[in-house]
Amino acid sequence: MSRGIIIFAQNNEYINYAEQACACAGYARRSLSLFDEICLITNTETLAPNETLINEYFDRVIISDNFQPENIRLFKDTTDKLEYAPFKNMSRSEVYKLSPYDETLVIDADYFIMNDILDQVWNSDNDVMINSKYRDISGRHQENIEYIDNFSIPMYWATVFYFKKSDFAENLFTLISHIKYNYKYYYYLYNCSGNLYRNDFAFSMALHILNGSVAFDVPSLPINYLNNSFDLDDIYRVNSHNDVIMYCADAENVSSHILSRFKDMDLHIMNKKAIGRFIDDLLSHGEKV
Amino acid sequence: MSDITKETEKYKEDLQRLEKALEFSNTMKTFNLNKNNLKVKTQNLLSHSTSGGSFTVDQSLISFMNFVVSSGKTEITLLDKNDIPVYIEDTEKFLDDISSLYFEVVNDYYNEYQKLKSSRKIEKVLEI
Repeated sequence: MSRGIIIFAQNNEYINYAEQACACAGYARRSLSLFDEICLITNTETLAPNETLINEYFDRVIISDNFQPENIRLFKDTTDKLEYAPFKNMSRSEVYKLSPYDETLVIDADYFIMNDILDQVWNSDNDVMINSKYRDISGRHQENIEYIDNFSIPMYWATVFYFKKSDFAENLFTLISHIKYNYKYYYYLYNCSGNLYRNDFAFSMALHILNGSVAFDVPSLPINYLNNSFDLDDIYRVNSHNDVIMYCADAENVSSHILSRFKDMDLHIMNKKAIGRFIDDLLSHGEKV
Repeated sequence: MSDITKETEKYKEDLQRLEKALEFSNTMKTFNLNKNNLKVKTQNLLSHSTSGGSFTVDQSLISFMNFVVSSGKTEITLLDKNDIPVYIEDTEKFLDDISSLYFEVVNDYYNEYQKLKSSRKIEKVLEI
């Protein structure tokens, strides 16, 4: 059984996702050991200027130049800066076809693996594993499950998920692809909030439909909670491959911050500009091919 | 000392006490956030996967497995964290593995919690 970790990266004019993906790959390689390869799925436009760096951190690169419809997202860099830019996140549904592995762990380009718990996914009996439970490192969101809307279904986080080549996974990705191309219909059907196409929403809807459109439990990853740092937080310092100190936005006053240290604990850092500011540190602590 | 001066002094003392209490509240906010993040880390690390299933390791799983091993059962089927039945072919090894993991992770939590609790200065705890 071949086992691979896949990261997606498609640059826009605001963020160099390719170098962030390299940093994440370096962290994954440093903390995990039971996989065969780390693979990047990207487009020609992103690969060309970053090829040397990408080859240092990835065992394999797959090019996917599918057309990406306009999906504009508001990027926040704490409360200090806000900027709208295209968010090219629509090729995620193609991962089943593109993955050359029997078992695949997909991680976002902003998910930093700092312990070996995700090594426990390999050889699982489950065809798909994905988490709905999460924790906000700043404690602003007290609930540990988010819903697509207050009157809709629970949200599964497509930040990290595992699948193996199987009927269930194949059908799931077929449905995700269908939802992607008919997003407006499903957007209203599931009473979604916000205008952005979100993989989290598409995955949640597809899982709901695939499980017979009734209350369901999808097996979660070995980690109990996804550890989310939202874009109002910032990085204070990167100490090593498993040790980062964060500025966590205060729940009562989001423009002031509280320091917290994360050691041996995976971190989903949504403030892309913060990752960009520390990219040299993050790249240097990761392990190359 | 006149009554007005006495009252002003008392007001100043009250204000100082209040400032101290609010400063302490800030320290507690930082303490609580860091404690909560340590707790989440511990909850994530207390995970053990075997035979295709994933288990959240806690005192009740260890107690139950201890009962299973004491009863002389060498193999059993257990529900994992996703409520999926998983066949465990060596109960003694499973008990050893989850006990070791629990002691190691909770001991680390204890050490880090003590470090956090014993220092009022967050700079010291975070080594900044």
